[in-house]
Amino acid sequence: MNLLIDKVSKQYGRHGTLALRDFSLELGTGVLGLLGPNGAGKTTLMSILATITRASQGRVLWNGADAAADPDSLRAVLGFLPQDFGVYPNLNAVEFLEYLAAVKGLDAATSKRRIDELLNLVNLTDVRKRPLGGYSGGMKQRVGIAQALLNDPQLLIVDEPTAGLDPEERVRFRNLLSELSGERIVILSTHIVSDVEATATDIALISQGRLVEHASPEILLQKVEGRVWEWVLPSVELTAARQRYLISNTTRRSDGVHARVLAEAPPAGALPVGPTLEDAYLYCLSQHRAGASA
Amino acid sequence: MNAPRVLYHMARADFLERVRRYSFLLTLAGALYLAYAVATEKLRIVVGHGYRGVYNSAWIGMLMTVSCSTFLSLVGFYIVKNALQRDTDTRAGRILAATPMRKPFYTLAKAFSNFAVLGCMVLVLMLAALAMQFVLPEARPISLWRLWSPFLLVALPAMFLTASLAILFETLPILRGGVGNVLYFFLWTFGLVLGDKAHVDDPSGIQLLYRSTRAALAAADPSTPEHFNFELTIGGAHAIRTFVWNGIDWTPRVLAARLLWIIIAAALALFASVFFHRFDPEKEWFKRRAKTLPGPSALQVSEQMAASSPAISISAGHLTPLVRTSARLRFLQLVASELRLMLKGQPWWWYTVAAGLLVGELTSPLSAARQGVLLAAWIWPLLVWSQMGCREARYATGSLLFSSERFLTRQLPALWMAGVAVAALTGGGVGLRLFLNADWPGLAAWVSAAMFIPSLALALGIWSSSSIPFEAFYTAWWYIGPAHQMPALDFIGTTLASSRPQAYGFAAAVLLAVAYLGRRIRLGYA
Repeated sequence: MNLLIDKVSKQYGRHGTLALRDFSLELGTGVLGLLGPNGAGKTTLMSILATITRASQGRVLWNGADAAADPDSLRAVLGFLPQDFGVYPNLNAVEFLEYLAAVKGLDAATSKRRIDELLNLVNLTDVRKRPLGGYSGGMKQRVGIAQALLNDPQLLIVDEPTAGLDPEERVRFRNLLSELSGERIVILSTHIVSDVEATATDIALISQGRLVEHASPEILLQKVEGRVWEWVLPSVELTAARQRYLISNTTRRSDGVHARVLAEAPPAGALPVGPTLEDAYLYCLSQHRAGASA
Repeated sequence: MNAPRVLYHMARADFLERVRRYSFLLTLAGALYLAYAVATEKLRIVVGHGYRGVYNSAWIGMLMTVSCSTFLSLVGFYIVKNALQRDTDTRAGRILAATPMRKPFYTLAKAFSNFAVLGCMVLVLMLAALAMQFVLPEARPISLWRLWSPFLLVALPAMFLTASLAILFETLPILRGGVGNVLYFFLWTFGLVLGDKAHVDDPSGIQLLYRSTRAALAAADPSTPEHFNFELTIGGAHAIRTFVWNGIDWTPRVLAARLLWIIIAAALALFASVFFHRFDPEKEWFKRRAKTLPGPSALQVSEQMAASSPAISISAGHLTPLVRTSARLRFLQLVASELRLMLKGQPWWWYTVAAGLLVGELTSPLSAARQGVLLAAWIWPLLVWSQMGCREARYATGSLLFSSERFLTRQLPALWMAGVAVAALTGGGVGLRLFLNADWPGLAAWVSAAMFIPSLALALGIWSSSSIPFEAFYTAWWYIGPAHQMPALDFIGTTLASSRPQAYGFAAAVLLAVAYLGRRIRLGYA
């Protein structure tokens, strides 16, 4: 099972925005966490991989076959949860999933069993007969997760899947992704670092349409090892400190503001602390931006 | 709060949002075509016995104005009846709802924005009228007042009334959707007829122009009979004689009548605010429906689940691996799913009426069934058919569906077959009787209609991403063609003389191809 993204670029319109530039990545089974700031090109990449839109340049190869030339070979094994999607308000969850199962070419008996399992999995069994128009945003999102898994996909692409989920459902979904990842490729696009931290076996950082970094979480953490400091300073000095240092987090306490500083050399009085993935993400992005502006 | 300023900016923002969409260019192109049709005498007014006015400023202005206030008051309604819908779809409405905005301001501003869009089309026709006077040799000298006063005093009030009615229809839940689209067509027809019968100054100003031209013709030709004709014709007989008409005498009484329509239009826009729900999700129709169902609300369900679920044991659950059956794609299952999707959500009385019509088809005399009951049976599912091809856009499900395997080649035929099935189910009584009577020409007409209607719906739905064009176009066609048994337009084939099964069978195939092309272009990635 192999997905190769080979020098993919995407430009909207002849003179429009260049959303992706020479993006290359090779993936095997496991969960890839795709991290990047807003407007980095994550959703564009997801849309290309999901055969919703074509790349302007480059190729996407699924097990060696060009997805642009034969999109149906990829679609047959694809599960896709878009960032924004709608539902038919008059249908209930079962009917909606039955409809999508028919569109995906599943037979009736298989669909029925699968839908029962999926609704149980996403904790919607109790409300399965209620019209989707009455569902909350989080419940609709869970219907979206269920539909993505209908055809037992080998390639599962989920774009901001935990948006709108409560903490309990978010944990449930993370566990689900981890369980699913053994025998398929999962691409999880998000800007919530903790989601990636909990599930990803690989991380790709994307910024301004380019691949900034592709590595395991451990490698990414090593990059920022020895560069994270905790610095206690009076709150009045925080604004000035922000202008001098990259600060990933601040906590107000009785002795002042505890700031996490990302720097090669520590500020005076700062102590070294263990890095988190959020530190690594911010560090890599800042390095990329510094390189781009230089 | 500076009320005029707030009103101005609310209308302006909405207007700018509209004019920067491609659909606005199409609208302007439509207005230009209307001007072209008038200038090339495809569309003309014939009065009395084969008279037309000399093409002076007054006659050209009147000709353009009548075209404007009749066609645009119908088509324009469907073009602008999406102001509230757009704010709902873009979710900008919820932002507005959280501001101190007052409801009457909102509906009035939306009516102004609607009016501005329609006014742009009137402006195009005003400029076209001026150009026409330069082109036509009998049209000198040019009098701008005579040329443009009918636009300003007849067409624009008619457009304002259309704009306000569009807002009123949008705010009234029952008229917001397809029912309103159909009803407006009959209201518009009734308005024209009422003006003719009751001799009142109708909003489109036809009666005003009728009286004025009649007086001028009577003065020019005293032999003009008492029953004076005033016909706006498309492609009909040309006038053979001319007379001079110097325009409407804008007396205070005439002006007051026009002002009255402006006041009525403004009052309707303000009245609409009574029904405007200020984007309260609780007032959405599907929420209301959900509330009537047994069981807790969405919020209650979420709360219950949060309270009852164990805090720690959050397992991922179990999924049985699928045995892949991709070689045998279940097409009929997809047709059944599409059919269910079409019919789901219809109230019980919809099925009751459909069943009643079916019984009527089976029990009434066959000719009456074809010319009456079948006619009703094939307008009844209008709002079912009108969802074809545009449902994905309306409910934003495209991103879920379009990445499915062989979506274009499987779902489109399945959807079409579901549409044909609706026609077959609702009109099945007549079809069965035609078959049992071995009335093969009649059966051919029935089959061609059953294929033509969903093909038309599918093509219009896919290309417009909206249900409105089919709802408006089909209703008008149904009324003019089958309901009046007009030979070329009777797609249902209510009589042997008026039926054209080969033509409509062919049209169905062409429309299906058009639909396929549209969907293929839309997907961009078939």
